[in-house]
Amino acid sequence: MKLDRRTFIKGAGAGTAGCALAALPGSIAALGSVTVQGSEESVASSCEMCSTRCPISARVVNGKNVSILGNKNAKSFGGAVCARGGAGHSLLYDKQRIVKPLKRVGERGEGKWAEIEWDEAYSLIAENLNKIKAKHGAESVAFSSKSGSLEGHLFHLAKTFGSPNTFTHASTCPAGYVVAAKAIFGGKIKRDLSNSKYIINFGHNLYEGINMSETRGMMNAQMEKGAKLVVFEPRFSIVADKADEWYAIKPGTDVAVALAMCHTLIADDLYDKDFVARYVEGFDEFAKEVKNYTPEWAEAISDVPAEDIRRITHEYAAAAPHALVDFGHRASFTTEEFEMRRALYAANVLVGNIERKGGLYFGKKASKYNKFAGESVAPTLSKPGVKNLPKIDAKRIDMVDEQYSLLWSSGGVYQSILDATLNAVPYQLHGWVMSRTNPMQTMTDRARIVESMQKLDFVVACDLYITESAAYADVFLPESTYLERDEEIKDKSGKNPAYYVRQRVVDTIGDTKPSWQIWKDVADKLGQGEYFPWDNMQTLQMFQVNKDVKLLDKIKRDGWVSYGKPLMLREPSMVNTFVSEYPNAITPDEDATYASHMSFKTPSGKIELSSSKVEKMAPGRGVIKYREVNMKKADELFFIQGKVAVHTNGATQNVPMLANLMSDNALWIHPITAGLMGISSGDKIRIYNDTGSEEGHALVTPGIRPDTVFAYMGCGSKNKELARATGKGIHCGNLLPHVTSPVTGMNLHTTGVKIAKI
Amino acid sequence: MTKRYVLVHDENKCIGCQACNVACRSENNVPESVTRIQVRIEGPYGNFPNLHFKYNRVSCEQCEDAPCVKVCPTGAAYVNDDGIVSINEKKCVGCLYCIAACPYKVRFINPETRVPDKCDFCKESRLARGEDPACVAVCPTQALAFGDANDLTSEVSQLLDSKNHYQHKVNLGTKPRVYRIPSRKGGIKV
Repeated sequence: MKLDRRTFIKGAGAGTAGCALAALPGSIAALGSVTVQGSEESVASSCEMCSTRCPISARVVNGKNVSILGNKNAKSFGGAVCARGGAGHSLLYDKQRIVKPLKRVGERGEGKWAEIEWDEAYSLIAENLNKIKAKHGAESVAFSSKSGSLEGHLFHLAKTFGSPNTFTHASTCPAGYVVAAKAIFGGKIKRDLSNSKYIINFGHNLYEGINMSETRGMMNAQMEKGAKLVVFEPRFSIVADKADEWYAIKPGTDVAVALAMCHTLIADDLYDKDFVARYVEGFDEFAKEVKNYTPEWAEAISDVPAEDIRRITHEYAAAAPHALVDFGHRASFTTEEFEMRRALYAANVLVGNIERKGGLYFGKKASKYNKFAGESVAPTLSKPGVKNLPKIDAKRIDMVDEQYSLLWSSGGVYQSILDATLNAVPYQLHGWVMSRTNPMQTMTDRARIVESMQKLDFVVACDLYITESAAYADVFLPESTYLERDEEIKDKSGKNPAYYVRQRVVDTIGDTKPSWQIWKDVADKLGQGEYFPWDNMQTLQMFQVNKDVKLLDKIKRDGWVSYGKPLMLREPSMVNTFVSEYPNAITPDEDATYASHMSFKTPSGKIELSSSKVEKMAPGRGVIKYREVNMKKADELFFIQGKVAVHTNGATQNVPMLANLMSDNALWIHPITAGLMGISSGDKIRIYNDTGSEEGHALVTPGIRPDTVFAYMGCGSKNKELARATGKGIHCGNLLPHVTSPVTGMNLHTTGVKIAKI
Repeated sequence: MTKRYVLVHDENKCIGCQACNVACRSENNVPESVTRIQVRIEGPYGNFPNLHFKYNRVSCEQCEDAPCVKVCPTGAAYVNDDGIVSINEKKCVGCLYCIAACPYKVRFINPETRVPDKCDFCKESRLARGEDPACVAVCPTQALAFGDANDLTSEVSQLLDSKNHYQHKVNLGTKPRVYRIPSRKGGIKV
């Protein structure tokens, strides 16, 4: 069944009439009155309104409100919280939040629910999962969770159950830059925005997609230290506004500009030859390939003037090594995502900014840091593990194609759940257990996800609200909010080791549980309790700190504990400070750095600008190369999306305070384009393509290229349970086609659409 | 010496993220339908591609010569030594003169208390505890500075001494205590 907007609105109208929503089963509204009880003293914890998970300090005020501020101990976060973080309490006691387990009593997605007790929920899950396991094998159940939302506990359950099919949201969001970093550097790398003197940014909108320490760091670099910011983005975003130079690049052509920069660095002899000779593998092949990628060539593709590309590259090289090209975050702009992210990394490698102030660097966790210091500066944490887990013989469903192998251990190709469910590729899935993930919004081709969820034998969703995806579950498990949960200690090491922890601030409202408890209880019911030997979160925390009670107390009290001084291995001033601080520290090289200790977990042990490993995985892709892609038909407009500061992707649209700030996403259209179609701001329009059709409103603005339209993602939910978000705005996932990018396994986030006034 | 609390909004640093709006609402229990502060992202102005946004803080200007106080018949709208334009709910008779008189349109009737309401620099709560107003404390990009302009060593004094700034509707003679550092790209050239 394809749920189009019209049939949906009919349904929603019936559902909302007569305040039927007030009685949404399992909601706080159904529970009656709510009192907020908890600590009146500030508790150090971590936010969960987005995936940045900033350190916070929260307390209950007068038994009715929760004050949420940033934790000042975390210096780079500056004690700040964003609008989403500050609105956390609005989620906590939102009358529409679900606080009692539910089971479906109507058709899937029909919105008919009945409250049940936890034990019944667990029995239903155990019965159905065991039935599927007996009939089709454990591997026919997929388990997915947004990364960072206690996903380790759900994936542990998957392992004990016997399924290799675990997925995070990676391939719908950050996998591109992670996979490219694995290929080039052998692992993830960080950016030192706050010390950078020249920042080149390809649509990484840190001033709307707020990541507190990076957002603050970049603003500080710009305003207090005079850093220059150059932004390439098809839309005039806030980061474009704050830039010294903004280029309205043609959507999906970032790779051409990045390659032309690499070309200029090499052709104009601006690159760091010593660095390349010492640390880089595959430079010659790369140099040969980019020889043809001149700025003039890139101009013809991207609309960015060649002379500007050339000038910016020269300015960038002059500021190097304290300069960087931001490798971005959520993508993917085109199916050439892998080449684009690698080209961005290459532009950093060529100027030798690795482990230099204002460049790129690797996280310094305690074990690594202590080794350099020659003493135990920071405590190391133990990882709880369980031995003798049942062996899983089945292959993951995304293991069909070797080219995605870099992603298998980093979240997997999430959307392969759809291929396995609908087309039995590589084998048939029968069940799906999902936690804190909303693929209907964040994946592509919504209709296909509906079809998949309709086809499965059994679906479980654990979340705070009945999200668009949870609306199709058979059993809904209400998780406690982050303000009601304790969690493991997290490693937040940057240039020096740091830890923090999430702690409960308020008593649990209603009948919810933290998901680590939920999955442990499910394991018990499945007869696999022996693999979950811990009693509670305190047991796990105690294990992490090796029973060092004082350390645990300190982390809990301060909420953010960091050790030592910032260290970048090739930065002489930092190494100098480090060595004078720690008398037993490793002796620096002749050039007063730790440059000789820099190592990369790649096959060659070097930075691989060209990679034989990648060539083997994905023939033809060993060397970074430009390929033309076609993302839209000739008579269509580019459709791009982005983040807004008051919402987190598709997750917060129903939170009262945030819904009050923004509940709709108008479509940005350039005045020339709008004029041709007779469209004015506020007009009702239809946006459509081969994938889907949406209705929304126009925002006519010069802040977008004439050949492109834009909408903030996350709006336009279609299930009736999200009363504040449903039917409001354009559902982006309903317009994006199901396409998986080579190597990165990413969903595609740029497509073509047509627009009509209605 | 009396205090002269002022607030400085740096429009270069402001990203319009509404963290201030939400923090204020939480701290001061501001009902959903009204607001004490918001930052309006206005524009973009200019011609493509030479565009800029304006980040307009809309909140009480804490006028030194406040029209709302002048027109109040009962003294419910008043100013103390701290210079903060305040409201004594008990004295209010609900005549709405103050709302009509405010040239900045930032006073409103609180639907719960049914008396006029507006920003008071968190005077009763955070300021009383020696803390900065909520909007200043949470601002992700440190776009706001708050302090006593009579203290020449304060951050606000130094900002006002060293940076170009402007106030809204100075021609009315209201002498606002909210100062704005204009964006390099737009706003009013001082």
